[in-house]
This record gives sequence, structure tokens and C-alpha cells, in this order.
Amino acid sequence: MNQRIFLISGALAATMTVATLAGQTASAPVSKADSKASANAKTPWGDPDIQGTWTSDDTWGVPFERPKNFGTRATLTEDELKARQKTVSNSEEFVETGGANAHSPAVAALEAKEKGEAPPAAPQGRFGRGVDSAPVPGHWGEFARRPSHQTSQIVDPPDGRLPALTPEAQAKLDAKNKLRREAIPASYTNWSYYDRCITRGVAGSILPVIYGNGLEIVQTPGYVAIRYEMVHDVRIIPTDGRPHLSSNIRSYMGDAVGHWEGKTLVVETTNFLGDRMAVGVNGDGGAPYSEDLKLTERFTRVSPNTVNYEMIVDDPKTYTATWKVAFPITQEPGYQLFEYACHEGNMAMHNMLSAARMEDKKAAAGSAAGK
Amino acid sequence: MQLCIKSSNCMFLAATCAAVLFSMIPAAAQTAAPRIPRMADGKPNLTGLWQAMGTADFDLEDHSAAAGPFYQLGAIGAIPPGQGVVEGGEIPYKPAALEQKKKNFANRLKEDPEIKCYMPGVPRAAYLPYPFQIIQSNKDILFAYEYATTNRLINMGKRQEAATDTWMGTSNGHWEKDTLVVDVTGFNGNAWFDRAGDFASDSLHVVERYSLLDANTMNYEATIEDPATFTQPWKINVILYRHREKDARLLEFKCVEFTEQLLYGDLVRKPSK
Repeated sequence: MNQRIFLISGALAATMTVATLAGQTASAPVSKADSKASANAKTPWGDPDIQGTWTSDDTWGVPFERPKNFGTRATLTEDELKARQKTVSNSEEFVETGGANAHSPAVAALEAKEKGEAPPAAPQGRFGRGVDSAPVPGHWGEFARRPSHQTSQIVDPPDGRLPALTPEAQAKLDAKNKLRREAIPASYTNWSYYDRCITRGVAGSILPVIYGNGLEIVQTPGYVAIRYEMVHDVRIIPTDGRPHLSSNIRSYMGDAVGHWEGKTLVVETTNFLGDRMAVGVNGDGGAPYSEDLKLTERFTRVSPNTVNYEMIVDDPKTYTATWKVAFPITQEPGYQLFEYACHEGNMAMHNMLSAARMEDKKAAAGSAAGK
Repeated sequence: MQLCIKSSNCMFLAATCAAVLFSMIPAAAQTAAPRIPRMADGKPNLTGLWQAMGTADFDLEDHSAAAGPFYQLGAIGAIPPGQGVVEGGEIPYKPAALEQKKKNFANRLKEDPEIKCYMPGVPRAAYLPYPFQIIQSNKDILFAYEYATTNRLINMGKRQEAATDTWMGTSNGHWEKDTLVVDVTGFNGNAWFDRAGDFASDSLHVVERYSLLDANTMNYEATIEDPATFTQPWKINVILYRHREKDARLLEFKCVEFTEQLLYGDLVRKPSK
């Protein structure tokens, strides 16, 4: 059992009971079984009520881009679903039996040494450098509670794959990859904005990863606010019809304005800082987007515990077509956000740079000796 | 009333009459509370963009103007004078803690969490020289601070004990008449109170009281208790002002990248000569 869940399940279950009651209209008593009523819950001021703590955990394990063999098939067959169910259970076991400790480069190196084998090559990407390279204790890990039917997180274009990059974007992606893969990093700028604890951006804050997939929605007349656990990001979204900020004011999370279309919250975000973050895992997977990026997100509560989320990515300077990601986010008993003091605890950056300078010294001594 | 056909009309008429009667009472005789925005349930609505004026973040206590640490910054880098916000004037430090505060100030360029873009803790978040947004729902209340994108949720439901120590603590709120009272525990003891080095330990307990004085100003009071650091609990009082500029919004001040050269610059590869 996830230790975090274990710690707080009692208190949160109580809070959630209260929250559910408060979300129902006082005049018409609604039976617990009437899920339709809860899915259509309104705030006292009449907006659809999507408040609460949500997680994208259930999309854990769904590839971002669809593997080519699926073609335009968007959902798994029953057999494929059974296979994924196994992976889901395995990831639960993975978490309960010590989690990514077994996947950490440090542990892998130690094990190889004990067996008298050569140390494994330094991994890249997940479990590679930075935050991802840290041995993650099992109780941090998150996993899907039920298998997703989706063959990919990208649902449009119909093949579930990213549209072709523009030549400029491909050049930016190549430059970024070169920087990230430098054998001995020269500076903190070699690492992603996530590794540097700056942000994961809008997309990175909701795409599921190994832990910290929680977000919390708070509403008041004229505003919806979303706070994301990882790197403690927050968005204040006016829903009163005001226009975007001046294009001279740019930011990592962009300028979000929203409105309600029936029971759907539609959020349009612009004014991004360009050429830094990507619309991908942890805000670093993929080509850096341009300052013209426009994201359109939709949040629709379809059941008491499910909000359908979708995000349309429009950035003609980066992608040759628009594309869309869609998956459900769910409310889970006992799931709670915690303070993620990323930068405050970022000893890794200091240590990695310190190690890199030591590597520089070794290399310099080696080349001096070779002369 | 004969004109009163529907009950809603009756209420409207009654309200109008009351307003007329009320306005006939000489102003001086009125003791009614000022008009403040309220939620549907009658609770004060604190939603808005707020900011403290003054110099509490420089020093909670009375202080004279002084030069700053960098002469290159001239007047920009100087410390403005300020009247303290501590009730009784002085923070009741234990002797060893007072020595620590002085050390903190002497080492502030290395130690002040604000310089390093670390989370400000409570109460410092309330009087930093940056605005913060309150989003008050019918359930919990969100505080989103511009500085470092810090945010905290005030749990208005059943009390939750702190699961672990954190920078911003664990906040449980309730209403006492029109005052939002927030009880904050579970601090990690790393945050400071100001740039003067005022601080507390991880046994800190803060009780904040937010009371609207009128629609656009709010009294902020914090009672600070930490037997490891202070001889007795003490209080600060700060007025918070609503940003009333057209379309005023919380902007993004992600300061981490403004601190990286300071924190890691000595470990960046020097260009070869």
C-alpha cells in the first residue's frame, strides 16, 4: 500500500464525504447512487463543479505517441487490455516491492560490481539524469488503478502520432538533444527546466509520470484555479470573459483565460515564453515550442470521479498541424497533494555539477599525461 | 403593502424601504459594519489580489534607513526605513535565539531563503513585496503567491494534522464571525520572517487572522508561538490592500532561474583561455 495513501486516507475520506455533500444542491436531496447528479454537480453560484483533487495516474503506461503497429486503432482489444491489466498490477507490485530502487543507475552499478560485471552504461531519459536518476523509494511511485483502453495519449491526428516538425523546430530539437546528451555537462543549463526545478509547464504538469500526478481544482465566482503538486505550479484562470494579457507579458505557464461551454471548462492559454519548454513529458519531451503556442484545454466532468481532459496544441512554427491529447483524470480515495519543495531540496544539481567539474579535471590530467 | 403581489417584489420593496429609512439615520449614529463582499453562504469573500505595503519584509521591527549590501545598486539597493509591525515593538527572543538572528543577518547573502528563491513560509508570504491571489471556494481556500509560485490550500473541512514538515506548513482554517482564522503547524523551520534574519524553529505554530476592514482592505494578524525560540507568543499586524487596477492579475515570478548563477555558478565550466 502506498505509504502516503496509508497516512492520510482516513482524514481525506472524511473530507471527501463532506465535500460531496456540500457539492450537492441543498434543496434536492440526492441519493448516493445517483451518479448522474454528481457528474452534473453545480457550485452554489451555478457553474459546473469540477472541484477536488484529481490525478492522471490511470493513463500511466499509455504511450504518448501510438506505436505504429496499431495504425489508426485508438483502443485496445480485450486481449491487449488483459495484457495491460498485468502491467498495471505489475507496477503496483513494483511500487510495493521497493519501486524504482531497482531501476536506479546507482543501484544497478552497485549490483554489477557485486556480480563482478562491468557497470551498465549511464541511462538516458527516464531514470537518466537529474531528478529522474535519483533512486525513487517505492512509496513515492504512482500507478494506474485500472487499465486504460487507449493505445496512445495523442488522439488526433488519427494515427496518434505527432505531426511532422517544421525544419526550424527540428533544428531546435536537435540542438536541445545535443545539449542534454553532452558527456560532461558544462552548466545547469544542460538540464531540463524540470531538473532545474523551474517548472514542467502546462502540458508537463498533467501528463502522467512516475509520481506526483496530482492536481487540485478550486473554484470561486469568476475564477477557476488549478494547482499541480509537482514543482508546486499554479494557474489562476479568469472565467469572466476578460481578454488575454498584453503579449509583452510572457511566462512559462502562459496566460490562461477560460469560459464554460455547457458543463465543459474551456481554457485557452497563450503568452508563453518560446524556445524553452516542450509539450511533452515533464515539459522537456519533444521539440521546444515557439512563443506562438496556443493551448486549448477542455475539462468535462463525466462521472462523480472522472473528468475528461483534452488539450489541443496549436503552434504552426513548431508543428505542421494541430494535434490533440486526451485522457481522463480521476478522483481516488486517499489521494492528496503534498508540498513539493523541488528547488529547495535540489541537492542533485549541485552534486551533478560538482561531479562534472571533477570529470573535467580527470580529463585534463589524462590529456596532460598523454602528451 | 398593496403593491406587493409576488413575494420577491415584497422583499424588494421591504429592502428599498429599509434602505430609505436607514439613509435617514444620521451617518454618525450608524454603527453598521462596512459593506464587504460576501459568498452565497454569507461568509466574507476574500477572493482577490492582495498585497501589503510597507517594509515588514525588510525588518518586522522598527528600523532606520540603511545602506544595502551592494554599493553598486545605490538608492535601489538601500533599506527603506520602517515602523515595525510587531505588537509591543520587539520580538521576545530567547538569548541564544537572538544571537542566531544576528548571525543570520550577518550571513544573509548566503542564508536568506528569499535570496535563494526558497518558499517564504508563514507569515512571511503575507507581506513579501509581491501580490498574492486568494481564491475562496465554497469548500477550501487557495492562497497563490506571486513570489516563487508558492501556494497553499487552507483546509476548511475537518482538521487535518500535518503529515510531514514543510516550508509552508499545514493550514487548517475556520471562521470566527467574519474573521478567517488559519491555524498553521508542521513547519520545517527553514523559513525566515524577513531580510533582517528573524526566524523560528520547526516547533513554530502560527495562527493567522484575516478580517476585511472594508471591501478593499484587510487586517492581517499573526500570532507566533515557538517555545524553542521565543520567551512568549507574539503578534504582528499588517494591513493588506486589494489591487484595484483594471484587470490586475497575479503574474508569474519563477525566480529559481534568477538564482542559479548565484547557487551553482562556481561549478559551471569556465571558458578555456
